[in-house]
Amino acid sequence: MATTTATITLSSADLLSDNLSLSATTTLYDGGTTTGLTQYDSGRVEIPGDNNIYVLIDSTAAAVDKANRVYIANKNTDETHYVIVSIDEAVLGRLYAGDWMFIPWSQADAAANLEVKAPNEVNAIEYALFHEGRTFTGA
Amino acid sequence: MATTTATITLASSDISDNAISISNTATLTKAGSTTGLDQTSGMSRRTFTSISTVKLIDLDHYQGQTLTENKAAKVYIKNTGTSTAQHVAVGIQNGAGALEEIGWLYGGDWMFFPYSAVWTSAAHANNQDIDVAPSSTDSVTLEYMIIYE
Repeated sequence: MATTTATITLSSADLLSDNLSLSATTTLYDGGTTTGLTQYDSGRVEIPGDNNIYVLIDSTAAAVDKANRVYIANKNTDETHYVIVSIDEAVLGRLYAGDWMFIPWSQADAAANLEVKAPNEVNAIEYALFHEGRTFTGA
Repeated sequence: MATTTATITLASSDISDNAISISNTATLTKAGSTTGLDQTSGMSRRTFTSISTVKLIDLDHYQGQTLTENKAAKVYIKNTGTSTAQHVAVGIQNGAGALEEIGWLYGGDWMFFPYSAVWTSAAHANNQDIDVAPSSTDSVTLEYMIIYE
């Protein structure tokens, strides 16, 4: 087994009248166990700015109802650029240039793909999927 | 304006032959601008003892106001429990009024994601609410926060 951790730190000195300082760390386990996730995929892609919905990561039968985790970052630098992130066309939100997200992704069914749409500009997206397995297709 | 940063560190020394270390810091700004997000729900905390699906974030005048939709809001949710056997399923309402599951938060797990917060009616039907459903009747507590404009 592997030991993989994900840590978030949220900080602000002026969002509230007092400091915001939040930190949380989780270890990425196989679902329902204390065995660390042992598989991951990662990549960097450029999403065309043509307002079409594209599958960033395909749902796979072997990962349905598992403890998959996804990290996505928008590496563009123009603050007006963004991609719309959705799962099976259910929109989560707009990931603007410089933003990142990290979610559990249970891949509830074969249609529960992770999708992105760039309305106007090409957006460079980096991603990493930590997972319990995938269904391979024959050659 | 406020300056709020969100940093993630993903690290493993043994998931592959070479260690992986991903680190990224985002400054949370309003949509299409360099002005910082300046509104927040503050940290909220709710405990559940049923497997029923419950609205964690109900957009019909959330905390007495309407979040501006299709902007750069961010949501943080953490399962404060310690159980690695039980989870809380987190889902989001799609535009057709159906619940789309995002994923499962086991004890100690957290998530952070952009949120379009689309509000369509006081009747809730197609609002982009965020729902949760524990996998067990064992008590489980979620902490959550929205940072928005």
